[in-house]
Amino acid sequence: MTNELVRMEHINKYFGRVQALNDVTLSVCHNEIVGLLGDNGAGKSTLIKVLSGALRADSGDIYMHGAKVDIRNTTDAIAQGIETIYQDSALVTQLSIARNLFLGREPVKGLRLLDRLDQDAMNEAARKLLKQVGIKKEIPPTTPISALSGGERQAVAIARAMHFESDLIILDEPTNNLGVEETQSVLHFVRNARDSGHSCIFIAHNIYHVFQVVDRIIVLRRGKKVADDIDPKQTTIEAVEHIITGMTLTPS
Amino acid sequence: MRSTSFFQRFLSRPEFGPFVLLVGEIVVFTTRSPAFLSAGNISNLLAFTPELGMITLGMTLLMISGEFDLSVGSVFGFAPIVMWTFYNTHIASLEVGFMIAMLLAALVGFTNGWLVTLLKIPSFLVTLGMLLVVRGTALYITDGFPQRTWMASSALMKVIVGEFSVGALRIYASLLWFILFTVILGYVLTQSKAGNWIQASGGNAEAARARGVHVTRTKISLFILTALISAYSGVTSSIRVSAANPNSGTGYELEVIAMVVIGGTALNGGRGTIIGTVIGVLILRIMRNGIVLVGVPGLAYNIFIGSIILGMMALHSWLERRHHAGT
Repeated sequence: MTNELVRMEHINKYFGRVQALNDVTLSVCHNEIVGLLGDNGAGKSTLIKVLSGALRADSGDIYMHGAKVDIRNTTDAIAQGIETIYQDSALVTQLSIARNLFLGREPVKGLRLLDRLDQDAMNEAARKLLKQVGIKKEIPPTTPISALSGGERQAVAIARAMHFESDLIILDEPTNNLGVEETQSVLHFVRNARDSGHSCIFIAHNIYHVFQVVDRIIVLRRGKKVADDIDPKQTTIEAVEHIITGMTLTPS
Repeated sequence: MRSTSFFQRFLSRPEFGPFVLLVGEIVVFTTRSPAFLSAGNISNLLAFTPELGMITLGMTLLMISGEFDLSVGSVFGFAPIVMWTFYNTHIASLEVGFMIAMLLAALVGFTNGWLVTLLKIPSFLVTLGMLLVVRGTALYITDGFPQRTWMASSALMKVIVGEFSVGALRIYASLLWFILFTVILGYVLTQSKAGNWIQASGGNAEAARARGVHVTRTKISLFILTALISAYSGVTSSIRVSAANPNSGTGYELEVIAMVVIGGTALNGGRGTIIGTVIGVLILRIMRNGIVLVGVPGLAYNIFIGSIILGMMALHSWLERRHHAGT
């Protein structure tokens, strides 16, 4: 691994007596989309929550760009360039697209005391970003999120991650509850994100979606990493399913 | 939703329903009572409306951020008691008394905000407790008696609620302050970064926090603002009516919240406008004034107010559902 972006080393996490993560080590390279697979309760979400600052590991280290970092909360993670997109996108549905994109990092113009939002700049940047993530429809940036479809919401969340130059975008079940066409557009956004220089960790129940978009697959089973470098081009969905469920793999 | 016509956009504004009701009210009262549009009646309307109106402005921002404050009426009564007690006992000048009253109000607001955000107690319970504590303090300080206010004369009183006339109208300076506060807070809500944070805090606090928005600080600031503006309003009222009664402001909290929700602000936060609130204030104040003029017994007033609240809530919920139907 030459151009490693993030590395999690020997991560352990207990919930009471249950060990949710057992000495998990993994890394993601620059411009790489990694698929994280595992059955329910395998520890995918826990691992991602540790990386995105929502949970703290009981032991283990995280490195970004080769340097050790301390991620205590989600703000820390964002500051380190790690952006997490959940199923519900974590958007404020009452606010407009532009206001959501810049939430917490709003551009201000004029006298500092007046604290005035630079709405023209926000709308202009939002318009460009929406085009960049591949939304073909003409949606005004002042549209509230509540008026958008599930796929469009995911696109806004991805656009936000791209705009603030997050190095690593974590997508936690981004295709859940989406229709066929919307799923395709989300997968399309993910490929776009990689092409513009971002790395992704992609978590989905649906292995077919994962196969369509990722460069490498990591499998967790009962809190342990059981596979690390499955190349989706060199294997079949059945073989990966065997690894996920723990049945013995017979080489085909 | 994505209509271009000006008329359609106007129709889809949340303030549209309340605005129609306000216009309808004015039309009915004007045609049914010649006294309604007289200079004397308008002067009366403009005397008290700014005082209640100021409180609703603070309450609007607080409610958009997802909280509300039941202690505003108590602070309204308490602040002038503090100011006049200091003055009447010759401990401090009126100006210093005013500053102390405002400081204590800020402390009340901070305590509300601190308990709500850091101890995560619902604002209903926190501010209900504060309502009793503050009202009780006002009664205890005064032994339940009103404070004298007519001995004083100070430039501060002129600035806060000085009287002047425009044509046949008698106007108090408090109206100008109310307009100024409306403009400033309207600007803060829609044009400033702070306004974006207020709306995000009420809309989806977790998402906002994850983006680095200081949700706690935003809410505490708004609790302080609401308490300060309620205290200022109470001081204004006490100077105008020349009485500081420890019981004044009782029940205002519910009338203020009613005005805010009639104006289209969501009780659970995230959505609302200052202009909607101003319309809500006018609806209830004009209703109270007008139904007496057209001969409805004053005791029936609450029937109308209650019906307006129920009707407006039904309208807002219908609009909301229609709004989401297409998504």
